[in-house]
Amino acid sequence: MDEKKKDLPQLIEIEPLQDGYRWVAITAMLLAIGIILHTVSPNVGGVTPNWTIAMYSIVINLTNPKLSQALGIGFIAGLTLVPSSKSAFPLGNLASEIAGATVCCIMVKAMLAAGFGSWRLRPFITGFVATMVSGGLFTFILKIVLGLPLTVWVYAMLPVVAVVGVLNALITFLLYAPVRKLFFVQEDER
Amino acid sequence: MMESAIQLQDFYFAYKKSDIVLHDININVRKGSFTVLAGPSGAGKTTLCKAMTGIVPYYMGGRYSGDVKVLGESTRGRRVSDIAMRVGFIMEDYESQLVSLTAGEEIAFSLLNHGFSAKEVAERTRKALEDVGLPGRESYQLDELSGGQRQRLLLAATLAVHPEIIVLDEPVSAMDPDGAISLYKLVYDIHKAYGTTIVAVEHRTDYLLPYVTDLIALKEGRVIASDSFEAAAPKMYADPELRCLLPSLWQVKLGLEERFGVDLGDWRSEQDALADLKTYKFERRAD
Repeated sequence: MDEKKKDLPQLIEIEPLQDGYRWVAITAMLLAIGIILHTVSPNVGGVTPNWTIAMYSIVINLTNPKLSQALGIGFIAGLTLVPSSKSAFPLGNLASEIAGATVCCIMVKAMLAAGFGSWRLRPFITGFVATMVSGGLFTFILKIVLGLPLTVWVYAMLPVVAVVGVLNALITFLLYAPVRKLFFVQEDER
Repeated sequence: MMESAIQLQDFYFAYKKSDIVLHDININVRKGSFTVLAGPSGAGKTTLCKAMTGIVPYYMGGRYSGDVKVLGESTRGRRVSDIAMRVGFIMEDYESQLVSLTAGEEIAFSLLNHGFSAKEVAERTRKALEDVGLPGRESYQLDELSGGQRQRLLLAATLAVHPEIIVLDEPVSAMDPDGAISLYKLVYDIHKAYGTTIVAVEHRTDYLLPYVTDLIALKEGRVIASDSFEAAAPKMYADPELRCLLPSLWQVKLGLEERFGVDLGDWRSEQDALADLKTYKFERRAD
């Protein structure tokens, strides 16, 4: 075919519309998986990973949502934990998960801004911190509700939270890559 | 000149992290045509199909220039779901488009999302299943249907929204020859019955020879030919890389025309070819 080669015009860059809804679908799916695992996970020595926190940490790392969206993710995550919670104050989950998701979101944004976007340990660190914030706040609320001394919170509760934090950090770190591959492989990246 | 169903003007496209996939595409798919889109692997056929349905660039994102018009309206700023009411799209990986448990639910899915009444949905579902040769299968689970039947079901789901255009991206790539012939016959019957414009991406163009009216040939993201089948086929034949993508009969026809300087007819079947060859005294040898 006769073809006069034209100069390449200025191309308009356009963001994928699918991303507008993708975070909702991924959040819903991973939180649902988190609830199931939360229900069936055995308790070993009083310690069990908090799958819900690990799941929203993965979502937040993957989708980098707005702060308001992270608040929503935390609120929904907290709501899912309330019915199955065996603690003395189940509603504490709402406050703790909102705090965990918000801090995770702020950390992700800060790390992306500081150029740590492709750092492999980003999910590990954010998963750990989110669990520490969420677990720390939840146990502190319990301490207040039950009228426990500060030393119990510091020396008995926080170490358990730290162990769960490490477990969650590992889960977040290990599942981040496969989940990313599952949901975020674009045609142009194949 | 016939009215345009899909028009691409000076269209360029690149995915977010890729080089340019479509270069300076200027094509006009005529309304009521049965257009075949052919080209080697990696030519940009699937991306072009997605551009025709608004998925590219507005849903998937990327970089683009130019415009795509569907039935006279630009796809710019329009939702993919709205475009889908006028342009049905059957992807190569058709299983990924099936989202429901039963055949009836599958067809009803898009209709309900667009707010059709339950009565209208039931009627359209019944008629669409009838049109694709699966009458009364509303309650069948998807795993009770064979691969070919699931593909027909997807065609029914597409038909149920009464699109004016149907784009099919290699719909028979996983089918045996009988299944492929049967599906294309069905697509042709729909094309005839409803005047639906068909755009089909197909490697094995032999299946489509009886039906094709127009041909678009792509190579390395550029249009090599876009015209009526009779006018575009010689341009494809002239390119050694594209020649093998023409229907076998047309490779023979164009080869004979080139070799002997004759002007053969519009072959659509082996019978056409035999009749034509006899008039030129090309006889079958007994040995």
